[in-house]
Amino acid sequence: MRSKQQIIPYLLLTPALVLLLVFNLLPTIATLVESTFVMSLRSGERVFAGFANFERIFKDPIFWKSLQVTVVFSLVVNPLQIALSLGLSILINQRLPGIGIFRSIYLLPVAVSLNVTAIVWRLLLDKNTGMVNGILYQLGIERQPFLHSTEQALWSIILIASWIGVPLWSLFILAGLQNIPPPVLEAAKIDGANAWQSFTKVTLPLLRRVLAFVLVADTVANFLLFAPIILTTQGGPQLSTNLILYETYRRGFLYGDLGASAAMLSVMLLIVFVIVGVELYVLRGSD
Amino acid sequence: MKRKRIGIIAALLLLVALPSLAQDVTTITWLSLDWPVDDVIAEFEAQNPDINVEAEQVGFNDLFAQIQVRLGARSSVPDVISVDVPLVSAYAFRNWLLPLDPVFTGDEVEDWLPAAVNAGSYEGTLYAAPVSTSTQLLFYNSGCFDRAGLMPPGPDDRLTWEEIADIAQQMTFDDDGDGTPDVWGFIWEQMVRIYQLQVLPESLGAAAIGEDGLTVDGVINSQGWIDAFTYYYNMFNVWNAAPQGEEFWPADIFETGNICMFVGGPWNIPRFANNADLEIEWGVSRHPYFADGVPATPTGSWHIGVNANTENRDAATRFVHWLSTGEGAEMWWRDGSGDFPAQQSVLALFATEPEFDELPMSYVRTAADEATVNPRPRAVTVGFLEYEQILQNIFQDIRNGADVEESLNLAVQRIESEMAKYR
Repeated sequence: MRSKQQIIPYLLLTPALVLLLVFNLLPTIATLVESTFVMSLRSGERVFAGFANFERIFKDPIFWKSLQVTVVFSLVVNPLQIALSLGLSILINQRLPGIGIFRSIYLLPVAVSLNVTAIVWRLLLDKNTGMVNGILYQLGIERQPFLHSTEQALWSIILIASWIGVPLWSLFILAGLQNIPPPVLEAAKIDGANAWQSFTKVTLPLLRRVLAFVLVADTVANFLLFAPIILTTQGGPQLSTNLILYETYRRGFLYGDLGASAAMLSVMLLIVFVIVGVELYVLRGSD
Repeated sequence: MKRKRIGIIAALLLLVALPSLAQDVTTITWLSLDWPVDDVIAEFEAQNPDINVEAEQVGFNDLFAQIQVRLGARSSVPDVISVDVPLVSAYAFRNWLLPLDPVFTGDEVEDWLPAAVNAGSYEGTLYAAPVSTSTQLLFYNSGCFDRAGLMPPGPDDRLTWEEIADIAQQMTFDDDGDGTPDVWGFIWEQMVRIYQLQVLPESLGAAAIGEDGLTVDGVINSQGWIDAFTYYYNMFNVWNAAPQGEEFWPADIFETGNICMFVGGPWNIPRFANNADLEIEWGVSRHPYFADGVPATPTGSWHIGVNANTENRDAATRFVHWLSTGEGAEMWWRDGSGDFPAQQSVLALFATEPEFDELPMSYVRTAADEATVNPRPRAVTVGFLEYEQILQNIFQDIRNGADVEESLNLAVQRIESEMAKYR
């Protein structure tokens, strides 16, 4: 009877584990293996090449440029999205007049597919026909190139990514906020804590687990951002939005250089692994 | 009851027998653009009842990635592929295409335009059969010329790029005063593609690629390219006579009267001629050139090849043979893509068909003649895909305000990096 009960959880986990194995673990292993092979362009024959693909990409300035763009993008987009999500979730956690309507509206971007969002923003930000530039012009501000400017394109991508990201992550943080028992906050109030002290000393520590999850998931999601790039800038202008995942797609699927593509993905995997490890370490909890 | 049972047995026998009856029909897959292929396929299948052709149609940009991934994985499907002609050498180099020399007779090869045969060959072997070729004309809205108080050119006039710049600025109008023109002076139909833009530096005497088919340093950042793409930059950024932003299909905007001139393919002639709702008066003239240079016109188009790993070699080569020669080629021109045919026998029909006697369809004859004026095929290189894609990004950047020399140098860096694997 006891052994039967022990088996049931494993049985229930099996479908999820099988899917994880097939769609996550096996492709990851296949990528790592592929990164050590080069394919003969003429015969299509695969030959083991050790670290030759890695040597090749490390000598490639385009790879380093893509990595640089990805790092800058991540350093801006992740803190920005989490700060905004936190602010938004605190706002929608308040009992204010009309907050019910706002709660319904703010989540709408999450319900729209990322592809549609990217295409709509591309149209909105167009220099000649976009609505944003139409409004700017009416306000007496010069039309902006947005997705076509080396200075503005990455910021425009950050805007598009955050349009979906912020409401999505705020939903998780809201769940965390609502899990904080009201007596704890009341106790802090009775002890003389002001709103800021209550937020920093009580709310934030109790949100640590949720924030750790959001930080890790947000980092990974933004590292894997692809659809807005292929649908808007395709890495341009002048590689200013050439995030590393788009560069791996270009190498592998457009130029047929699977070895270099797999090597880039492996490097990316390692970087994500390290960043997530550090994030989890920093936000580790004693509870 | 007994009769019913016999009926059931007969039906079952028929079901069992049907697949064996159908076994004689070979199904082949043809990966192509979204051309109107149904009538052509139906005719081929009527003449070849043992072959069933299934068209797999994708968009322009997706076609290259599909071929790259599927043929790169040595897949046996698709059996037949439409090949953009400068990619023939890239595919042949990788052994993705079946050599086609044994499929065609000497007469059939001689009927193709020699330039098309060369473009479909790699190291002296034919890998893709010519189906169509192309050229470019200047299309203009006569109303814009009237409004600007200018005389439109005739079908045999050839304006210089300098004249185009001057006229285009006079024909750009911001009617509603919102800071963005409502009528633009000029645009290239394929505004960021090497197909149309390569002839700009070539008109100034510059080459498209180094003699080894791989080197671009010192070629695409040479003075000829810098001058040509400074002109291109000015058109969008200084003279503001052409729209920046997203890519679009200018013929649509031309029909609404919002583009005054564009350089485009002769496929637009039947489109405008057959549009009963078209309210603008339009005409064509020859492809422009630089005053200090020579006329140079874009050429090259679609070929058709057989996947080297196909399991239906015989059926696939029969289809390719039919579509690229004789009756099939003529039908493809009339009912298929409508592009310029690559067969001299079909091209000759332009001169004799009464359909082309009167304006505006007679512009097709102008185009047929223009196709013979210094036609410039795209660069022949095994790395054409990388070359084209990178330059396309660079042209889009220049169009939207990026510095010309800096952009061309970045293109050199990126293309040289990609070409390293072919050296």
